Formats: sequence, structure tokens, C-alpha cells
Amino acid sequence: MNAQPNQTEEVKGIARWRFTLVMAVFACLIAAVLVRLVVLHTIEQPFLFEQGEKRTVREEVQPAMRGMITDRYDKPLAVSTPVMNLWVNPQQVNLQQIPLVARDLGLSSVRLAKKIERAASQGRSFVYLKRQVEPEVANVLLGRRIAGVYGEDDFRRFYPAAEVTAHTVGIVNIDGCGQEGLELAYDQFLQGHEGSRQVVKDLYGNVVKQLKVNSVAKPGHDMALTLDLRLQYLAYRELKAAVSQHHAKSGAAVLLDAHSGEVLALVGQPSYNPNNRAGLKAEYMRNRAIADLIEPGSTMKPFTVAAALESGRYFPDTEVDTAPGYVRVKNKTIRDHRNYGVLDVTGIITKSSNVGVTFLSAQMGAETIWEFLTRAGIGQATALGFPGEAVGSLPYPEQMDALRLATVSYGYGLSVSPLQLAHAYTAFTQGGCIKPMRLLLNQEASADCERVMSAKVARQVLNMLETVTSDIGTGRRARVDGYRVGGKTGTAHKVGQQGYEDDEYTAVFAGVAPISDPDLVLVVVIDSPQGKEYYGGEVAAPVFSRIMEQSLRLRQVAPDDGKMPVLQMAGGDQ
Amino acid sequence: MSLRSVSILLWLMVVLSALIQVGTVHWQRSLMQAWAAEDAHRAQLQQEYSRLLLERGTLTAHGRIDQQARKKLNMTEPDKVQVLSQ
Repeated sequence: MNAQPNQTEEVKGIARWRFTLVMAVFACLIAAVLVRLVVLHTIEQPFLFEQGEKRTVREEVQPAMRGMITDRYDKPLAVSTPVMNLWVNPQQVNLQQIPLVARDLGLSSVRLAKKIERAASQGRSFVYLKRQVEPEVANVLLGRRIAGVYGEDDFRRFYPAAEVTAHTVGIVNIDGCGQEGLELAYDQFLQGHEGSRQVVKDLYGNVVKQLKVNSVAKPGHDMALTLDLRLQYLAYRELKAAVSQHHAKSGAAVLLDAHSGEVLALVGQPSYNPNNRAGLKAEYMRNRAIADLIEPGSTMKPFTVAAALESGRYFPDTEVDTAPGYVRVKNKTIRDHRNYGVLDVTGIITKSSNVGVTFLSAQMGAETIWEFLTRAGIGQATALGFPGEAVGSLPYPEQMDALRLATVSYGYGLSVSPLQLAHAYTAFTQGGCIKPMRLLLNQEASADCERVMSAKVARQVLNMLETVTSDIGTGRRARVDGYRVGGKTGTAHKVGQQGYEDDEYTAVFAGVAPISDPDLVLVVVIDSPQGKEYYGGEVAAPVFSRIMEQSLRLRQVAPDDGKMPVLQMAGGDQ
Repeated sequence: MSLRSVSILLWLMVVLSALIQVGTVHWQRSLMQAWAAEDAHRAQLQQEYSRLLLERGTLTAHGRIDQQARKKLNMTEPDKVQVLSQ
């Protein structure tokens, strides 16, 4: 430095202000950075924090599995299985990869590309690729790690018994909410609660950190019905065959346990496949056994007769003169098929005599008949809690003049659902005391029953019902080999635009088997059979016979007609 | 104890707790991953269960058993019913 003082002097002079300048500039820069840091950490901090969270923290919803619906032996009727909903973010996806996606999902590549392009141009960032995809397929696609393609867990409902139980079990929509039947009635019970949590996700969508659990997913409850799927199947098969054979508009069959009032089978025609709703018509979804009202026709006569027996003034062998085969009540003639002459009370049921029950009901009076039918549940809500459950109607005693009373006594001028009719018949099989109907298995069975008639009268009516299937009765075709079967036929004219139609009928058969110790109550309704046969005894009774025969065998009920050889099992006593 | 040794001790504690925090976060994340794997496994089992349930339902359907009994095993309903009693 001392060697060149002149130069040093010169450099020093320049360096001083330059040095100061450079230092000042640096100081300014540092100050600017510091100010920026302070601003970022204080004033802009909430905004930036929020933006950061938005990019990493995700609210994740975990769907709850919907409860299973089973029959009484745990056979599944409605089951949820895990599936995946695949969606795409059109902003992130590479259009060249769309054909690959489309091929994996079996979609049209061109259409998918158009859909995604349109969504991208609209600025949307969420488009469903396909909903409810099987997990195997979805995992193959997600395994390719295509940018912008995501999956979320979901459940899909399957109905293994399909159209056989469709009306009773009902359906859910694509979001898993009940739409029809029990799925709708017990939606809350079946649904469960979905869980949600806050997580931090990395670029690939893997969960890195769980921040907060808002709620834990709770699966829905399972529900067991009293239905027996085997009986349901065969009832459906026989009903369907009959409806198509007679070209009928619709049909229904209800099978009840004669002792407990549990619903064992509940089928309707036409039906639909709940697993594939393409081409589904709304009318197919109508539950004929519960929502349709029918005029029960002659199947009401046993109740009129039971009311007469219960009064103590009539006995099964009391004679009633039905000659000349018709009777005039208030300008209207009530006719029998032919002049049956003198019949006993049993004969009135055997021959289904309108004149006979008209006479009996006139003797009892409107009050007694109304009270009796009301106790048997006619025109009363069945309280199964089913959506669209029909209540039916029964005119009040004040509304019943002589003609109305007469028509009610043989089943016109009142309406019931097939289910109600079957339930009313359990009054005869439960010793005159009717228990509430049950469709849910785990529901508390109440020991209470409503006394409709004495046990003695119930037994007398059962014996009368048996004569209907004898050689001289109207329901011969309801017979079942090996069993004593009883029942009542009914044929009701349908109500049209101008009163009762002459050529539209509802054929009904309501019956009980076996008579010695009733096990099953079955009601078969065929609506508007087209053809030469339309009587209950011709159309509904054979269906009754077929369903009853197979049901009794399946339930291993011992034949009781006494004609079958009985083998004594060796050593049975030990 | 001098101020110096106290501050060294505090420094050591700070460093130690920082290391522990790193360790716990790592531990928590690996637990999370294990849980997620288990959860995926559960979902897979659930899916398999419901599939098997449906399969069993189909295979044991009354109509199918009835048909197989008739066709494969040549079974029929008994013609003459005999009642066994003890």
C-alpha cells in the first residue's frame, strides 16, 4: 500500500462514497426484505395460512354402510357393497390420456373427451367419470396414476331376490336414500351416520396427517324381516304364472303365520327388478298387497256368520230358509246362483248364499256387524308403518241402511287391502283373539290380542270353511292332498265409471290350512282375469292350492286328513 | 449455578425437545399409514364379505336347490305320503 501512495489516495477518494452507496443499497435491500417478511408474517398471514390449508387440508367424508335387510333365516334381501365413484378434474387432466380412461371404464372415448373439454372450458373442476364402479375396475384405473383422476368411496345396494321382494323391501336412489317400501319406511334406522375428518394430503392424494376427526362413520342397523324367502319365492312364482295365464291386470298374495300373525310372504304382480331400473314403469312399483284396495266380496261372509254365531242366537245347524233364491231389499234384488231352499248356517258358507247372509245381518243389526268387523281390523290401519299403506273403509252403522247392511254382509260397499283381509282371517286361527301383524322379526312380540269372538265360534267357523272345499262347496279347487283345507271364495265386480262393471272382476280366495291346527293363512287376489274363468273358485283357488301345498311341505306341517298311512317309528319312545 | 450453565442447559433442553417432536411426528405419520392400510384392508374384507353373502344367497336360493334336486339328483315329491310318528 505504501509503494503507490498516489494511487491509493486516488482510490480511497473514490471508494468512500462508492462504499457508502453500496452499503446503503444493501441496507435498503435488507430493509425491504425485512419489511416484506414482517408484512407476510403479520398482515398477510391469515390469508396465506388459509390458502396453504386450502391446498393441503382436505375435508374427507367417509360414507356409512347401510344396514342389511334379511329374511327370518338371515338370507340377504338387500345388501350394500363398497364401490367407487370416479371423478375427474378437467383442469388437470391430460386430454391425450382420456382414451385410456374410457377404455378402462368401458365408456365411449369420443363422448367422454367432449364432456371433459366442455367442462374444462366452463371452468369446472369436478366431473363424474362414472358412479358406482366395482372396486376392481376402479383400482386398475387409479393404479395408473393419471393426473386429475380421483376416486371416492361409496356403497351400492344389491337386491339378491330382485323382483320377488321388490315391493316389500323397496329401493334406494343412487345417493343411498330410501325411495320405496321398507327402505323408505326405515330409512333413518338403516342409514347410519357418515363420518368426516380433516386430513393433510400430499400431491398424490395420500393422507399424510390427520388433523381432526369431526365424526366417526357409524354403519346403519341391520333389519330382519319375518318373511321366509323360500315361501316368498314360491308364492311369487305361482302368482306370476296365474296372472299371465289369465291375462290379469295385477295380482297379490299374502301368507301369514296363523298363530303369530307374522307376515311370511307378501308378493305382488306386476313387479320390477330393483337392480336394473331401465324401462321401469311407476305402476310396477305399486305394492298390490298393501296399497291396493279391493272389495272382498264373499270372503266377508264368514265374518257375518261368525257375528251371528257369537250372538248366541244361531248355531252351525240352525236352519235358514233362503227360498226362493232372491230377496228384495229397498228396490234391489239380491240373488243367489240358484234357489238353495232351506240351508243351515254352515250351508250358507258352503254354498256362499247371499240371501242367507242378508237374512243373518238383518237379524243382527248394523251396530253389531260394524262392531264385529271393526274388531277384526276391517277399515283399520294395519300399522306396519309401510309407505302408501291403504286403510280401507267400512261404513259407520249410521250410514248403513237396510241395503247397505245387506251388501256389507256379503262383502260389497266396503274395501280392504289383501293384507288386511289375511290379517282378519287370523281371527279364526288364533282362537278368536287377533294379534297385531308383524313384518319385523326383532320387534317385540306383544302378547296382547283383541278378542273378536270366542274360541268356540272361531273353531265352528273353521269347520264351516272346510266345507267350502268339499265336493258340494264353491272352492273345490283349493284342496291340497293330505291336508284339511278351509277357505272362502270371493268374486267382486269391479267399480268402473258407471258403477259396477259387468265384465270386470276381482277373484279372491282367502283360506286356512291345516284345519285341525291352522298353520298358515293365505289370501290370493287376481285382478281382472280376462277369459272365460273369472270366479274366485276358478282363478284364485288353484293358486291358493299350489302355494299352500308347497308351503305346508316346506314348513314340514304334518298331513292331517287322516287318509295318509301313519308309520310308527320303532323305539321312538326311548 | 452460574447464568451460563443455566442457559446451556436450557439450550440443550430446547434441542432435545425439538428432536423428540420430530420423532413423534414421524411416529404419528407411520401410525397413520398403518391405520390407513388396515382401513383399506377392512374395506376390502367388507367388500368380499358382501360379495360372498350375495353369492351364498344365489347358490342357496330355494328355486335353484329345487331344480338341482330334480335334475341332478332325480328327486321327486313323495307320491304316497307316509307320516312318521313317535
